[in-house]
Amino acid sequence: MYDSFLVRKGSLRNFKEDGKVAGFCFGVRIANYRGVFLSLHNGYYVEVDGESYPVALQRFGVNGKPPRSFEELKNNAVYEHWDMQDEATLYIMKEGGLTPGVHRVGILESILCSYGRMPRDEEIVKNPPVPTPNVHGQGGGGSKTTDVSYFDLELQE
Amino acid sequence: MIKRSVSLYSYQQNEFFGWMDWKAQLREIALNLDGADGVEIINETTIPNYPCPPEAWIYEWRSELARWGLQAVTMDTFLDTLQFRDHVMTYREAGERIRYDLELAHKMGFRNMRLCHHTPYQAVEMNLDLAAKYDIIMTNECDVRSLDLGHMMGDSIESEIAFIERTKTKHYGLQIDMSQFQNKPCCIQLRYRFRTAGFSPERAAEAAEDIFQTFEKIGREATNEYIKEKYPEIAGGPFPALHMHANPIGRMYEIIPYLVHMHGKFYEMTEVPGKPGLYEDRALPYEEVFKHLKKSGYNGYISSEFEGQRSQQDMGLEGLIDEVDQVRKHQQMMKRFIEDKHNNTPF
Repeated sequence: MYDSFLVRKGSLRNFKEDGKVAGFCFGVRIANYRGVFLSLHNGYYVEVDGESYPVALQRFGVNGKPPRSFEELKNNAVYEHWDMQDEATLYIMKEGGLTPGVHRVGILESILCSYGRMPRDEEIVKNPPVPTPNVHGQGGGGSKTTDVSYFDLELQE
Repeated sequence: MIKRSVSLYSYQQNEFFGWMDWKAQLREIALNLDGADGVEIINETTIPNYPCPPEAWIYEWRSELARWGLQAVTMDTFLDTLQFRDHVMTYREAGERIRYDLELAHKMGFRNMRLCHHTPYQAVEMNLDLAAKYDIIMTNECDVRSLDLGHMMGDSIESEIAFIERTKTKHYGLQIDMSQFQNKPCCIQLRYRFRTAGFSPERAAEAAEDIFQTFEKIGREATNEYIKEKYPEIAGGPFPALHMHANPIGRMYEIIPYLVHMHGKFYEMTEVPGKPGLYEDRALPYEEVFKHLKKSGYNGYISSEFEGQRSQQDMGLEGLIDEVDQVRKHQQMMKRFIEDKHNNTPF
């Protein structure tokens, strides 16, 4: 769903923390026809130029707040909503950031929204799925898009 | 008389790209659909800052409805049972979430509120009094799978009816989604499947049409075999286009006494062969369903619920399907069947 539109072209840039380039970021949209409570957001499978970046290295910027880890969203954003109209920013921690030029970014979102009470609910609470390219096949982890979407993005100044 | 409404779900792509906000969507329904006067929404799509929209927004919503003479028919809600993440939502917490949605639905003037599949009856029952106070009918939706007996979590038609009979409530009922009567392949989904398997758009279109025509000639099982042989590229993967249930339409009569609302799910409106200007969705037996609905005396709403857009979102901006146009064609078709004098004999 929204396959070619989940990452905004022209949004890839490096970001600084304490004066040093601490990583890179880009704009993302939700792969769903509705918004969700942020606690349900389980992070992304992200790869850039073939290298993958686990959820622990990801931060999520939304609702005008500073970037938060997915662990923080899980624990503290239980009543906060990501509206489906809003673009969020996905930050990836990587010392020095990305080099100038075009990079191939692949993402697959993992949001644990469901259609009511499901048999695997208890198991997902205990062991949330790790976002991987086949997360949908594992159940509970995928959203409305089941495949990794790829984007060739040029690093902006 | 059956009444026509539109679920704003149909305009989700316009919502995503910011091309039409909810006000523009209401305006479209009021001005261009030849008598449709009902609106259905997805709570977590249309309501800003859900679950706490500004009071000013609620006033604006009611003011826009009044402006265009529209009825707030159904608010669709969800039940994310993992919201708290450290435990599965309890019945009481689920009941709380429903209560909150009922408060919103009441403020926004809705007459029905669709609950999510697999909402525990315990959570529903906690809210029957509040629904009665607000005169809102909560509904469960029977979609593709749920007419099947022994359905996974037990909200089969039988258990739904047993719940209604036991509680003697007038504020819980059923709604049907047209998708469960799908009895032919859905070409727009097939074309998507072929494209993602590497076919060019042209070849994908040819192959999808070939499957549709083959299905017409030899039926479902033989077509599945045909696909395995002729199109191995797509045979192994998930195959929603042929995952039709083709539930017998006659089964509707089991539900009619409890029927509150209908979802007119559709995927692609195409011109009826030999009838320029008239449209149909070839995958769905709308004409037949309307015959039975009218015969049963159903006089509620049926909402256009367009779902074809996601099957063309791999083709860039220029490849997107026009939701506004699709809904207009769908409404024209529904109006045609509702007003068809030849099939207008109530019991």
